[in-house]
Amino acid sequence: LRRCQVSVDTRHIEESFQEIKRAIQAKDIFQNVTILSTSEALQSIKPSDVCCMTKNVLAFYVDRVFKDHQEPNPRVLRKISSIANSFLYMQKALQRCQEQKRCHCRQEATNATKIIHDNYDQLEVRSAAVKSLGELDVFLAWIDKNNQETSTA
Amino acid sequence: DGVAILPAPQNLSVHSVNMKHLLTWSPVTVPGETVYYSVEYQGEYESLYTSHIWIPSGCCALTAGPECDVTDDITATVPYSLRVRAALGPQTSAWSTLKHPFNRNSTILTPPRMEVTRDGFHLVIELEDLGPHFEFLVAYWRREPGAKEHVKVVRSGGIPEHLETMEPGATYCVKVQTLVKAIGRHSDFSQAECVEVQGEALPL
Repeated sequence: LRRCQVSVDTRHIEESFQEIKRAIQAKDIFQNVTILSTSEALQSIKPSDVCCMTKNVLAFYVDRVFKDHQEPNPRVLRKISSIANSFLYMQKALQRCQEQKRCHCRQEATNATKIIHDNYDQLEVRSAAVKSLGELDVFLAWIDKNNQETSTA
Repeated sequence: DGVAILPAPQNLSVHSVNMKHLLTWSPVTVPGETVYYSVEYQGEYESLYTSHIWIPSGCCALTAGPECDVTDDITATVPYSLRVRAALGPQTSAWSTLKHPFNRNSTILTPPRMEVTRDGFHLVIELEDLGPHFEFLVAYWRREPGAKEHVKVVRSGGIPEHLETMEPGATYCVKVQTLVKAIGRHSDFSQAECVEVQGEALPL
């Protein structure tokens, strides 16, 4: 992501998520099912596909998850808004990067993204949105891990 | 909703300095009464994808003064729409919306306050703590013809930072600027501050 100069302040996003994690995960009634954590999705991505995969998963959250989730609690809503707007900012930066030909998308990333969307479609939409919100830490940890690897490579 | 007979607040504007964002408006006055105000916001995400949703400000869901510190509401570098309405008992005014969405990348950045001290022969500075978004670029040099300028990034303020071990009889100068990665900007440099080291310069 460094190639794209995305100033990724995931620490602030993680803090926002940690504050609502319990409230969100308590609403997840399908505990033995996962959307992001299947081994063929994020974990299978190679360093060269990290940029495209990040852009795809950001779009998954921005275009589907945040829209499909209806949050009554203002405190939780503020945190979700903070994350959603941070994702939107990152997504726009990665889109510019792709236009400048520095964020290539290969079939591997497309396949992994399809698995996430297929997992999402297996569940009723509200349940799928809650589960995906509850798995934000999986995505954030994956971004952090890949960010550190590219900086030490 | 109460009948909107109260006038809506006017002249909304945001004054933002060093990533502190203050929303202000002209007060609505009703003789003998205290008028309260509610503030709500939408980030770019909401205005694009869920435009019917406005989020109550975490800072000023109901406030008496004609201003609101929205710093903790504005948490991403995207445009935010802000709106205010007046309330008096069951009566509420219409919403007034900020004319132009506010983006925190327009904040005014100023150099921090800086304290330059000598601890024996050690050049030490302490910078104003401006909050988690801020790092500082410190430039320092020995005041003599052709002196080389040294640069150091200080990750946070409020903690003494050792810069250099000085030589007797020399003068050392320091200047600093703020760096904010979240918006990709920095302030101007501060004025230089210099300290002189007592004692005679060492013979060469």
